Amino acid sequence: MIRVEGLRKSFRTRTGPVQAVDGVSFTAADGQITGLLGPNGAGKTTTLRMLYTLMSPDSGRVLVDGLDAAIEPTRVRGHLGVLPDARGIYKRLTARENIAYFGALQGLDDRLIAERIERLASALDMRDFIDRRAEGFSQGQRTKTAIARALVHAPRNVLLDEPTNGLDVMTTRSLRAFLLEQRAEGRCVLLSSHIMQEVARLCDRIVVIAHGRVVADGTPDELREATGCDSLEDAFVKAIGSDEGLFA
Amino acid sequence: MRALWIVLRKELLDAFRDRRMMLVAFVVIPLAIPLVLAGTNALSARKQAQQLEGPLELPVIGVERAPNLVAWLQSHNVQVLPAPRDADAALRMQERDVVLRIDEKYGEDWRAGRPARVEVIFDSSRPLASGATVSRLGGLLDAYGSTVGTLRLVARGIHPAVANPLQVGTRDVATPEARFDLSQQILPYLLLLLAFIGGMQLAIDATAGERERQSLEPLLATPVARESIIGAKILATAAFSLLSIAVTLIAYRLVFAVVPARGMDASFDLAPAGLAQLFLVILPIVLLGATVLTALAAFARSYREAQAYLPLLMFLPMIPSLVLMVAPVRTQLWMLAVPFLGQNQMILRVLRSEGIRALEWVVSLGASFAVAAVVWFIAARLYHREQLATSS
Repeated sequence: MIRVEGLRKSFRTRTGPVQAVDGVSFTAADGQITGLLGPNGAGKTTTLRMLYTLMSPDSGRVLVDGLDAAIEPTRVRGHLGVLPDARGIYKRLTARENIAYFGALQGLDDRLIAERIERLASALDMRDFIDRRAEGFSQGQRTKTAIARALVHAPRNVLLDEPTNGLDVMTTRSLRAFLLEQRAEGRCVLLSSHIMQEVARLCDRIVVIAHGRVVADGTPDELREATGCDSLEDAFVKAIGSDEGLFA
Repeated sequence: MRALWIVLRKELLDAFRDRRMMLVAFVVIPLAIPLVLAGTNALSARKQAQQLEGPLELPVIGVERAPNLVAWLQSHNVQVLPAPRDADAALRMQERDVVLRIDEKYGEDWRAGRPARVEVIFDSSRPLASGATVSRLGGLLDAYGSTVGTLRLVARGIHPAVANPLQVGTRDVATPEARFDLSQQILPYLLLLLAFIGGMQLAIDATAGERERQSLEPLLATPVARESIIGAKILATAAFSLLSIAVTLIAYRLVFAVVPARGMDASFDLAPAGLAQLFLVILPIVLLGATVLTALAAFARSYREAQAYLPLLMFLPMIPSLVLMVAPVRTQLWMLAVPFLGQNQMILRVLRSEGIRALEWVVSLGASFAVAAVVWFIAARLYHREQLATSS
């Protein structure tokens, strides 16, 4: 379970300070898939980066399974499985070695790592390339490896930044099925996306972000009700104030 | 500690699978350094032998003015050549090492018993090329002069010793290993350079490269402390270059065992104990290099930017060698505390088979390790910056 309270973060740029995240609060519950939806530049990646303690917020609080990220960053990172926006893998290592490396860094022993890799390789359909070196992997193979490595320690909370970016239809479908499995196992899944259809299909709860603020938060039904629109699409556009960048 | 070991192992595995990096570190460098040294050494030995023992080719201006002198020179292995049209130009163009000019009034002065003038013309800005030849010619002319002088004194009934109130003898206390040698000047620099930036490929790849390939952010999202990550990268760099140096030193010994070049100095035939000492001397420089490179790669925004600093780093180990070449000074204890300068002195000591006292070991190793520790601390601080993972 992830709770975010009043997060703020600004960056200094050449043209002056930019308020990237301006008071974001939401809760992502266990056994649910929560979607952070917003156009590019809305502050989704920065919010996630504060969740996995890569950045520290100017103000506000992040609680992961009740642990405060500012006080116990190391334990918080142990409770999270993160697929960041940057998902480079080591080209001279095989997919299996890439995953095992992160398993070891999470403190797992070799036997458990081998077991987990077996499970993830079949769940993500990686068997035909698991022992190949990552040099020359397709985008889909790279993303699968990155997801497997993020989840090798079977974290209670799964954070994915734009997980379907650059994936083909088949890979997207298998990823979707995989996330639903994670939900069924009672994990807290939080993903960000700028693609409305994807969030609408997959998520139990949707947090709409625009200009660093939460502009709508609820189940798809609640969103339709609150905006008085019949279709989700219209509801999103109304919540954000424009349809810029929402349709892939 | 466990995480540090895991990251260290992975970085080395990653490096060992990089063919280009392996080729450079374990084949090109270990072969290039001894071969270049053996080559220059053999070349300079041959040149020296030629200048000292081969026929001295000597263009003479005014051969006809001093037939006796010319005949005497010819009988002393000098090959007299016709004078070039423009002697100064020939010397500057390096067509000749030295030219002898016999004065127009040589015969007149000689017969009158006045000192007769001869001129040795050479270019002093090229001491390595012509120095030996010039001093050889000078020695011959002195010998001729004193022979004739002695005969003149005897002819006047004076004992020749009257004109030689001093008898100057010289005794060289240099050990055979310590004789001046060009390669001996280069070896310390090459060793220090290799120790300092031998791990640069790995350091840049593991830090700036990891960032550029976007694998740093996932790594930082694991519970591993950043101190462990940077520590492992520093140690991996150091281990890699130590291995490369070890292979180079072994190759060095093998090359000099196989290539029995003429006039080779004994200094190149280092015993295993000497090699081990060299290894120990440059150990702190290896660590210093690994920390500096890692700090730099953590500071740089990209692979390219990190590489842009390299020429500067290559210059650093050169400074003490340059200073010592221009102003050779007696080794004092404080010098051993200065990184590079100290190691330079220590390497020369080892090459010259001079003993090194325990205190000198402590000062040299201690000071350089301390500097490395400070840079390590700075590198770790740089690794805590928020922009580290996100700026690329």
